[in-house]
Amino acid sequence: MKLPPFDYQAPETVSAAVELLAEHLDEASVLAGGQSLIPLLAMRLAHPAVLIDINGIHELSGVTVTDGWVGIGAMTREYVAEESGTVAESLPLLAAALPLIGHEAIRSRGTIGGSLAHADPAAELPAVARALDAEFVVRSQSGERVIPAADWFEGYLTTSRRPDELLVEVRFPAAGRGTGISFQEVARRHGDFAVAGLAASLTLSDGAISDARLAFAGISDVPVRATDAEELLVGERPSPELFDEAARLATRDIDPPADLHGSSDYRRKVAAALVRRGLRAAADNADERQ
Amino acid sequence: MDITLRINGATYAGSPEARKTLADFLRDDLNLTGTHVGCEHGVCGACTVIVDGRPVRSCLMLAVQAAGSEVTTIEGLAPDGELGPLQQAMWDSHSFQCGFCTPGFVMQATAFLRDHPDADEQQIREALSGNICRCTGYQSIIEGVLLAAERARQS
Amino acid sequence: MAGIVAERYTGASIKRSEDPRILTGSGRYVDDIKLPGMLHAAFVRSPLAHARVLAVDVSAARALPGVVAVLTGADLEAMTVPGQDPLFAMMGAGGPMPEYSLLATDTVRFVGDPVAIVVAESRYLAEDGCELVEVDYADLPPVASAAAALDADSPALFANLGDNIIGPHKRSEFGDVAGTFADADRVAEFHIDVHRHQNVPMEGRGCVASFDADSGLMTVYAATQSVHITKMGVAMRLGLEPGKVRVLAGDIGGSFGLKIGASREELAAAAASRALGRPVKWTEDRSENLAASGHAREESFDVRAAVSANGDLLGLDVKMLLDNGAYPVMGTMVPAIMEMMLPGPYKLEALGFESTAVATNKASYIAYRGPWASETFVRERVIDLLAKDLGLDPLEVRLRNVAPRTDPPAVMITGRPLVGLTTRESLERIAQLVDFPAFRSRQAEARARGRYLGIGLATFIEAAPGPRSPEPPSGPMGMESMRLRLEEDGIVALFTGQMPHGQSHQTTLAQIAADEFGVPFEQVRVVVGDSDVVPFGLTGGSRSATMTGGVALHGARQLKTKVLDFASHLIEASAQDLQITDGRVWVRGDPDSAIEVSEVARRAATGEFGADVDANLEVEAAFDGGEGGWSGGSHCAIVEVDVETGLVTVQRYVVAEDCGALINPAIVEGQIRGGVAQGIGAVLLERSAYDQDGNYQSATFMDYLVPTACDIPRIEIEHLQTVPLDADVNFRGVGEGGMIVAPPTIVNAIEDALSPFGVRIYEQHLPPARILELIAAQR
Repeated sequence: MKLPPFDYQAPETVSAAVELLAEHLDEASVLAGGQSLIPLLAMRLAHPAVLIDINGIHELSGVTVTDGWVGIGAMTREYVAEESGTVAESLPLLAAALPLIGHEAIRSRGTIGGSLAHADPAAELPAVARALDAEFVVRSQSGERVIPAADWFEGYLTTSRRPDELLVEVRFPAAGRGTGISFQEVARRHGDFAVAGLAASLTLSDGAISDARLAFAGISDVPVRATDAEELLVGERPSPELFDEAARLATRDIDPPADLHGSSDYRRKVAAALVRRGLRAAADNADERQ
Repeated sequence: MDITLRINGATYAGSPEARKTLADFLRDDLNLTGTHVGCEHGVCGACTVIVDGRPVRSCLMLAVQAAGSEVTTIEGLAPDGELGPLQQAMWDSHSFQCGFCTPGFVMQATAFLRDHPDADEQQIREALSGNICRCTGYQSIIEGVLLAAERARQS
Repeated sequence: MAGIVAERYTGASIKRSEDPRILTGSGRYVDDIKLPGMLHAAFVRSPLAHARVLAVDVSAARALPGVVAVLTGADLEAMTVPGQDPLFAMMGAGGPMPEYSLLATDTVRFVGDPVAIVVAESRYLAEDGCELVEVDYADLPPVASAAAALDADSPALFANLGDNIIGPHKRSEFGDVAGTFADADRVAEFHIDVHRHQNVPMEGRGCVASFDADSGLMTVYAATQSVHITKMGVAMRLGLEPGKVRVLAGDIGGSFGLKIGASREELAAAAASRALGRPVKWTEDRSENLAASGHAREESFDVRAAVSANGDLLGLDVKMLLDNGAYPVMGTMVPAIMEMMLPGPYKLEALGFESTAVATNKASYIAYRGPWASETFVRERVIDLLAKDLGLDPLEVRLRNVAPRTDPPAVMITGRPLVGLTTRESLERIAQLVDFPAFRSRQAEARARGRYLGIGLATFIEAAPGPRSPEPPSGPMGMESMRLRLEEDGIVALFTGQMPHGQSHQTTLAQIAADEFGVPFEQVRVVVGDSDVVPFGLTGGSRSATMTGGVALHGARQLKTKVLDFASHLIEASAQDLQITDGRVWVRGDPDSAIEVSEVARRAATGEFGADVDANLEVEAAFDGGEGGWSGGSHCAIVEVDVETGLVTVQRYVVAEDCGALINPAIVEGQIRGGVAQGIGAVLLERSAYDQDGNYQSATFMDYLVPTACDIPRIEIEHLQTVPLDADVNFRGVGEGGMIVAPPTIVNAIEDALSPFGVRIYEQHLPPARILELIAAQR
């Protein structure tokens, strides 16, 4: 399982990177953490003519806070985000999801931007980004675009990033007061991809739900917001009956994939269980953030 | 591509093709065959080394990406032939059988214990759950790590 | 090297002599080997389950810079002698013999079937070359299941056979089957399936083959369980005199039955080396290992059980169908072993057993740790199912049916005597270690809170090597040989055909020899892995504890006699008055007489003695197993099943085992735990899955799931007091037992957990989705 040949480029600035992307477009793959791309290359499922290694672009790393938004540079390593006090304090949903990504050695190299640009629907970060309506900042030779999460994930391993664009930063809104979160997943083993997963966030105000976010991993070719269930929840007080109904609504119209790890029906059942469990957990820890 | 990097405290130079993984570079170009290749897609952990202080799957890094880095491989843990404390504890605990997974476990456990010297058994199991062993059922490996941690606390 | 100094090594958990190199990355595995001029091989493999090969165009591959040669199936036929897989050939199975070429020539028969070998300056370039080979296939209908293979209309995989039945239907009866079933209070019928799963050692198959044109000598650095069987395979298929083949093996990264003999790929690499006059390395990558190296255990069983109302298991009538995959390796030999072992330790009065094995378009059925294991799965599942039907406790039913330990021993209905049986003791010990009544309370309380705990039990015996047979030992496995020599420097060297790949023989055999001969543990060296130097042997079948431990014991004793005879010429005393302890030879009662064993050895090597003194301090020993016995035990598991997600947690796992006298308890326990882990993996995680068109679906570690440290609990092991049968050698094998009995233990526990839902389980693979299906089917 040796990698196929490619032309290797290691730009040291974003402008050098986007110049290469403009030149090679679909013939190029961007190498960030490599934890998803290198296995694909090793299995010879991808044969890019050019590999653009952006690990040398230091300006792409870092966690910053601006006006209630947390900006994470695309090349920020997952373990750095995991250790970040800013992420722990302001992005508890991301903080909850990060330790579930693979194993420590994967997170040593894997990056926030890389995972989100790879867009595996069974991965944890796409569900988090979708739940929080994160914003994706891409840059090309023509300038910068900001793409909301709802428009970022287009299909299986497919995003709306154009071939000449580089993802440079992902911005997440900081969690407000009264927000409780939960990241739940069912995986075959500790560290595996989710067979089904749920990023959940509830904001309570005077005991009632003022904001509800539910985003699934693993039940479609993209992360999916359960908007019907979210609408049901807003304005109501948490209760097991409410959460049961939310679970029913959230999974009523989904058509999960079937594979070796579970049938479509199995994923649907698990998704419903995750909604019940996730909402209960989020409601429980919403109180802690009052 | 010409690269230099430091491995186990010594400077090495090489000219790997860009597509050559760090694992293959260590094994084939530098004859450091202690790092083993078990799956080449980043799941089994047999290829684990430490790069700039972090445990890393060397099958998922290109050699050229390690240019200028500090790398520690299994060969670097007992340079003068005397086993390091973790290795000694694993020997005492009968941690391994066929030995193929061993370097990856030793490197992963080395990195983990350095950062979490007081980890409990469940934490150790989770930290090592990205390394696959087919021979032992893991208990003896966990015991070796626990013993090393206990001895470090006592000394 | 700081070892544990013990007065007596045997029975102590002596630290392994393998570990200093293992722990420092200084082991030498086959992929570590580099020879001058070495080339690397990769294989073009079929993407189709069943197809005719119309044309193979290698021109673009040959033209790629760095590619040195591309050999097709046809090229290799011209360079090799047709034949069978070496393990298949050695075991001497009868029945239809499919004829097929070394690499595919006109037909490919499973996804991954090798079609051509590309040899290049690096593995990277060899794989580049493989992508340039163009193969023209014409699809054939895939025979993708055993049922399809039985259908006379399905295409025959092999042109020389009329159909796909490669293990023709055979039925045997023991006792009065018809009468037992007619008179029984109850006859129950079950259909039980065991799924395809596989060995997955951390190191795959591989070799470096090096042909020296000047000498005509073929040297193969192999990953193998027997250097001699590999040698035989290479010699036979390459048409070489055995004396011109040498097989060397160093450290081996696990095998569990995979690496016996020489695979088609290894033989192709050897042929390529000869054709090119340069060493050729082939080490399989994980996708090859998962898809092409071979699988095991895919069997289905129709079972009838005759039982009394009180729970006496009177008779079993079992019909089995084995899915052998495409090429014969081990599969057709499994049913006969299963038939023999099916009664287990129980007082079965009648057994009917019939089997059929079929060829299908899947990877071959190879040996996997306890190849006959399904007999224990079927029997222990049936005992639980019957117990439930009769409203009886599964432990009580087992105790009721266990054969007593008598003298003369009870005899299995299939012929072997149940000598030294400790099954009753193992079950009773489990009952002491696991408080069943307390568990039942905890279980009831958990159920009230919507949590589902279960407890399961299973017992087994295995012939490791089993009791002495009435016939004299025969075949290559009948006797175990060892050469023992006192080297010039005083080292006691044991030359054995065993080929450890995790079994720690370099430690265990040294323990035994050190004790018997009288030298420190460090003064014994176990020599393995060179077919020019070691006698025939195979590490497999859980034989080595008895067979090799025994030949080491007796051989060391014989060597000591010889050494003392010689030493009597150095020390003025008769040999009967001499002893060896702690590396010194001395006259009993006179410590001042002591001389070092190394001094004795040095003197023997000087040639100073005349022809009347035997100074050749070497013996060739052989051992037939002595009064060998059974290994076995009982296992118990407590599980929790999450009925919303189907995830199963093994909370507790307890083993009460009898493997005779323990050579090294830590090593015994390691073998048991590793086997149990594979059994847990088989039930919860592992499946070698094919779709209905024969496409392989489990080709990466993201789909073939092996248990991790979060999946296997601490496994508590009690060693039972064994019943010694032999005056000297009571070590029995333990390598396979864990993997044999863990699957029914876990499945029995899961069924117990799900009993409120009325679930009955007739299969071995229970991933989360299946658990939810089983629950839903009852609603």
